[in-house]
Amino acid sequence: MNIDELLTERHIIVCTGSGGVGKTTSAAALALRAAELGRRTIVCTIDPAKRLAQSMGLDQLGGEPKLVPLAAGRAKPKGELWAMMLDMKSTFDQMVLEMTTQERAEKIFENPFYHHISNTLAGTQEYMAMEKLWELHEEGRWQLIVIDTPPTRSALDFLDAPRRLTDFLEGRFLKLMMFPYMKAGKTGLKMINFGTRVALRAITRITGSELFEDVANFFQQFEGMYETFKQRSRRVRELMEARRTAFIIVTAPTEPSLKEARYFAERLTHDKIPLGGLIVNRAHAVPGVAGLEDPKAIASRVGDGILADALRTYAAWRAVSLREERLLGGTLGAMPETPVWRVPDLADDVNDLKSLREVGQLLATSS
Amino acid sequence: MSAMAPSLTAARVAVVSGKGGVGKTTVAAALAIAAARAGKHVLLAEMEDREAFAPLFGLRKLAYTEQTIAPNITGLTVEADEALVDYLRMFYGIPTISRALMRTKAVEFATQTAPGLKDILLIGKVKEAESRRHEGAHVFDCIVVDAPPTGRLPRFLDAPRAVTELVHGGQIRAQAQGVLDMVTDPKRCHVVLVAQPEEMPVRETAETIETLSKMGISLGPIVMNGVWPEIASLGKDPITTLREAVRVAGENLSDEAVDVLASVASTHARRARNQRKAMKTLADDVSLPQIDLPYLFTERMARPEVEQLAAILSACVS
Repeated sequence: MNIDELLTERHIIVCTGSGGVGKTTSAAALALRAAELGRRTIVCTIDPAKRLAQSMGLDQLGGEPKLVPLAAGRAKPKGELWAMMLDMKSTFDQMVLEMTTQERAEKIFENPFYHHISNTLAGTQEYMAMEKLWELHEEGRWQLIVIDTPPTRSALDFLDAPRRLTDFLEGRFLKLMMFPYMKAGKTGLKMINFGTRVALRAITRITGSELFEDVANFFQQFEGMYETFKQRSRRVRELMEARRTAFIIVTAPTEPSLKEARYFAERLTHDKIPLGGLIVNRAHAVPGVAGLEDPKAIASRVGDGILADALRTYAAWRAVSLREERLLGGTLGAMPETPVWRVPDLADDVNDLKSLREVGQLLATSS
Repeated sequence: MSAMAPSLTAARVAVVSGKGGVGKTTVAAALAIAAARAGKHVLLAEMEDREAFAPLFGLRKLAYTEQTIAPNITGLTVEADEALVDYLRMFYGIPTISRALMRTKAVEFATQTAPGLKDILLIGKVKEAESRRHEGAHVFDCIVVDAPPTGRLPRFLDAPRAVTELVHGGQIRAQAQGVLDMVTDPKRCHVVLVAQPEEMPVRETAETIETLSKMGISLGPIVMNGVWPEIASLGKDPITTLREAVRVAGENLSDEAVDVLASVASTHARRARNQRKAMKTLADDVSLPQIDLPYLFTERMARPEVEQLAAILSACVS
């Protein structure tokens, strides 16, 4: 399948993959290509580094969508490219404001524990990425939304995190635990098992009790918002499963990265989330050629110099390429229906619109 | 050993970090091996269940308890909940809390909820090992930590300060202060950043260095991992140049073969040159020494590869 089909037909593209495989770059390249194919596109990146902004000719990306100037030196493209960075805290604040009264929201914002949740709690970033996706979708300004996912250790975290966070916030269990600190709690302490009670008491001795008072206050203020919270998360989930959504798994031709990609593909299928395809980045496709079966032998024959250097370099990369092909063959063989696009390891950094455009071109012309 | 070689072991604790995929785990293992060969008593610690070191030392899994994994190397995987149990026992003598009991949701909740508690417990464990003494001498004279990636590193190392701000009382405040003292003491702790010699990773490394410096954390040498060997330039017209070289050598190679050779070699040469540029940019940008590790033409880092890197790092563990 040609990637242009995906770029012109879908409404949402989610780029996932383990860290360091070129997810952000792929997302940007796809968004740029879609814009140049005539679609009004936005790319939302999570990576806190300035790289995407710089590569798109913007000084910096903020939490607000910015129009990327595309017209420099070429015919004005039909589409538009917008770019933004996920601002976790303000997305969370916005969500709280929508879910409750101004007065109560302010109380929540003042709570030190809220700062922790909105900044550092595992899963918040992933959840907020999805929340932002929903917002962008609701705004209705964009024909295509390309979203980059947080650099988690495992791509699966992206799918699981929202549920973890909603569970955490809903936390019947937590309310039980917090009982000693909750003024209005009605549940009896009896309901907490002995182990939990002992553990909690011990932990409180370490942390001091103020912390848990903050936590209790937070959960009290959040009371009644859990249902809304869950509804929102369900709605985003439906958006993920929609037919006009496609997940693209970005991978490198390395064993851990391919393994991860395979797990993730299986999980998507299991969850009935549409998998658009696989981008294999940084592959060293060095072909075998008649006469170059044993380049090292020729190299030792001809003596040092440019020819020997070239032969040895070829030998080294050919070996890498063969190994990568073998690894890829195993993974791709297990998912024969999935479209695959390859981007070779490039000599130059992808750091401006021109090189992003080249990556897009490579993706479009790849198998 | 060169007197000028930068030292990766100038501080007792080397916190090894880098962006995901740059090979920080491999470098951490190589550093541990190099230091052990130099006669140091090494503790190699990984943060939480990553199971990255075990296969390199022929094991299935690193245990939570310290175990010898190679001559002079003790291995350890630090888990927040286990650290919490230790902590409670150490400071409160709470024997009633068995490990099984502590694995209840209460612990998961506490480590997730309390700001920085988890990170404090993890670094706290390192601090305990760092200050442990036997008959007056330090038990470990080199501690190598496979730390979280650079994206999470500032927050990880900032945890002690955050805790002292957020938690007003309790024993943990004292503990946090102790950890803070360690991470900001250049003799006791430095961060070794692993980077790849590419333009953007290098820029991000510089940003991380700036952030960490502002936090008062000292930095060791930067380890440049995956440096491609430089090869002779093929000039402006690589195909013609190579064809001539083939003719002079009296070899018989098809045009197709020469084309492929020229393309592979000139791409390599350009990329190798770009790498040197990136390394120079970083050298100009930050005043930290760089240690170069070669690209090994494999993505699979097993024991032989780690040994190769350890041999190079042995010049930097004095």
